[in-house]
Amino acid sequence: MKNRDIYLIGLNHKTASVEVREKFALTDCKHLEAGVIPVGGCIKEVMVLSTCNRVEILAVGEGDGVISHIISCWADARGQKLDDLEPYVYRHKGLDAVQHLFTVASSLDSLVVGEPQILGQLKSAYHEAVQHNATKVILNRLLHKAFSVAKRVRTETGVASSAVSISYAAVELAKRIFGDMGNYSAMLIGAGEMAELAATHLLNNGIRKIYVANRTFERGQQLACQFNGEAVPFSDLFNQLEKVDIIISSTGAHEAIIRAKDIRNVLKKRKNRPMFFIDIAVPRDIDPDVNGLDNVYLYDIDDLKEVVEENLAQRQEEAQKAREIVGQETRTFGRWLRSLELQPTIVDLVARSEAIVEEELARCMKRLDGANGETEKILRAALTAAARKFNHEPISFLKRRHEEEEAGARYIDITRRMFNLDNDPVDENAHRSRRNHHSCTAAGDDA
Amino acid sequence: MNLHELFSLLIILMYGLGTATVIAGTVSRKDRLKKLSNGFAVAGFGLHTAILLIEMVGSDFDLSKGYYIQFLSWSLLVIYFYMWWRMRYSFLGLTASPLAMLLFIGSFSLTGVQGTLPTEWTGMFFGLHIGTLFLSFGLLAMAFGAGLLFMRLDRKIKTKEPLSDFDKDMPALSTFDRVNHIAVMAGFPLYTIGMASGFIWARLAWGRLLSADPKEIVSIFVWFMFAWLFHQRLALGRRGRKAALAVIWLFAISVFSLVGINVFMPTHHSFIQ
Repeated sequence: MKNRDIYLIGLNHKTASVEVREKFALTDCKHLEAGVIPVGGCIKEVMVLSTCNRVEILAVGEGDGVISHIISCWADARGQKLDDLEPYVYRHKGLDAVQHLFTVASSLDSLVVGEPQILGQLKSAYHEAVQHNATKVILNRLLHKAFSVAKRVRTETGVASSAVSISYAAVELAKRIFGDMGNYSAMLIGAGEMAELAATHLLNNGIRKIYVANRTFERGQQLACQFNGEAVPFSDLFNQLEKVDIIISSTGAHEAIIRAKDIRNVLKKRKNRPMFFIDIAVPRDIDPDVNGLDNVYLYDIDDLKEVVEENLAQRQEEAQKAREIVGQETRTFGRWLRSLELQPTIVDLVARSEAIVEEELARCMKRLDGANGETEKILRAALTAAARKFNHEPISFLKRRHEEEEAGARYIDITRRMFNLDNDPVDENAHRSRRNHHSCTAAGDDA
Repeated sequence: MNLHELFSLLIILMYGLGTATVIAGTVSRKDRLKKLSNGFAVAGFGLHTAILLIEMVGSDFDLSKGYYIQFLSWSLLVIYFYMWWRMRYSFLGLTASPLAMLLFIGSFSLTGVQGTLPTEWTGMFFGLHIGTLFLSFGLLAMAFGAGLLFMRLDRKIKTKEPLSDFDKDMPALSTFDRVNHIAVMAGFPLYTIGMASGFIWARLAWGRLLSADPKEIVSIFVWFMFAWLFHQRLALGRRGRKAALAVIWLFAISVFSLVGINVFMPTHHSFIQ
């Protein structure tokens, strides 16, 4: 386990332009199968995440050349020069890599902070790595932890709770008015792209039916077909409004096509059931006075933009809380990682003492010639208990020191050398030559 | 401390904890606390039912000793549990738990009053009169809380003000309006039955339908207002802000009728002779 560490090498929308990202994308999901980053040699475990905004290679490796090896494999796989890749690449090692991964999983590093897609992409990448046996104990634990951190961030902060696109904000507002959308219907007036997007969101949220009113009836029919809805003649617009609750308007008309007095009549026919107008046309299709009517709510494109901007600002505030959670979880993971480093030393220490017990037991039994099995049993129990008690303090000491990040590795090293757990040959004069070396150095310093 | 005192303290404690947890759950946006508040309300309600039954079976049951208000508090929770079962929204607990607690505590201000009820204060019409009026009061209380929240959310959506976390956790406007609808549709017939049975009982007991008691006058006014709102909702489809406002006023006048008149004006509805 010596020198084995977690590495994360990648580029994203912050460090590289879309051209560079395209050039070095590893979008083919068979890159692990094809051995783009082969497991073996200095790479012990690996996982590749490639999305439109980022390519990241997460690896557990041993030795100093892990990073350069991965970058060179990556450039080779894309048939590009190393120099074209290196300037855009960020490199994280150890807990920095862990923290970066948790930040990515929690969508704090995304183009739109809080968007949930990245978690799904990360899960797919991990699934692929597992299928190719490219992950082992450290990455398995790390990725499961990353998923739980993302969940915690989602639950404990509002980082993903508000809408950050115009069409989504409109649907969220509709939910504030109507609640469950299953009993309501919507109408698209005109056929703009944003209106289509809002209609898609409404359908995803279970709206009962979508009507389309377009000046060109055929185009309206096409669109209605797309949403499994119904086209209505534009000339019959006000009669049709009676049966719809949400109206998304995006015509190219030069002046308002819906006025407050028209809606007042519609409301009477509807027995005052609420209506929500979303006007995304510029110039506006709906007279602003409509908002003054009881049970009628009107939002135009600027209102929706404001909602989106507020939500974005709120997400940034929540992101700060989320980063604190990521920090905490990184420290927790660091403790587990350090305990992993400690484990082989404890195992070796116990094994060494058990070997000594067996050796001494054999010697005693030889001297107690004629002793029976009962005596051997008692002796083994006594020696084992003594060895266990003797080990107890050094093991507790090591565990305590491992809680301190800086000291951990040093004490493992000292313990291994002190008990010669690596069976290194020790020169009989090593101690003397070391002492001479110290006194020479001291003399030199004095001079 | 006798059993009655012990139960009363426990009931206040449960309703108090219910109030504290529903407020804390709403402020901190923790569903677990909101669920806990319902648990406290159910526990308090169970004890409350037990104490009412024990006292009714015993010989000491006397409406003049605060049971009148305690029964009102109990009815309010019956309505709350019904609404909660129908809608699964804990926001109604924001009205129910505090109001139930305040009414229960308020009932003790009448325990020291020595009064006797006329023998006629029993019988079917009296039971009908009290029971239906209290249930309609419970419905109005729920609609009052929903109405206040409706007004707040409606104003924010209309004026495009940013929504706070509190607003975002609230149900949709349509849900508040539904509470109002149920309260008016069920509350008005109950209120009408309550008024009618009261008049019939008065005719049987005192030989007259009306006695120009201040409470009777205000109650008749409330009935007209209730009738107007019932008609508006049923026939004209009145809903939303104006319906919420009407129910808020209706509840406020009912509270005045219940508390203000009983405490500050001479009325035979205070049950003291």
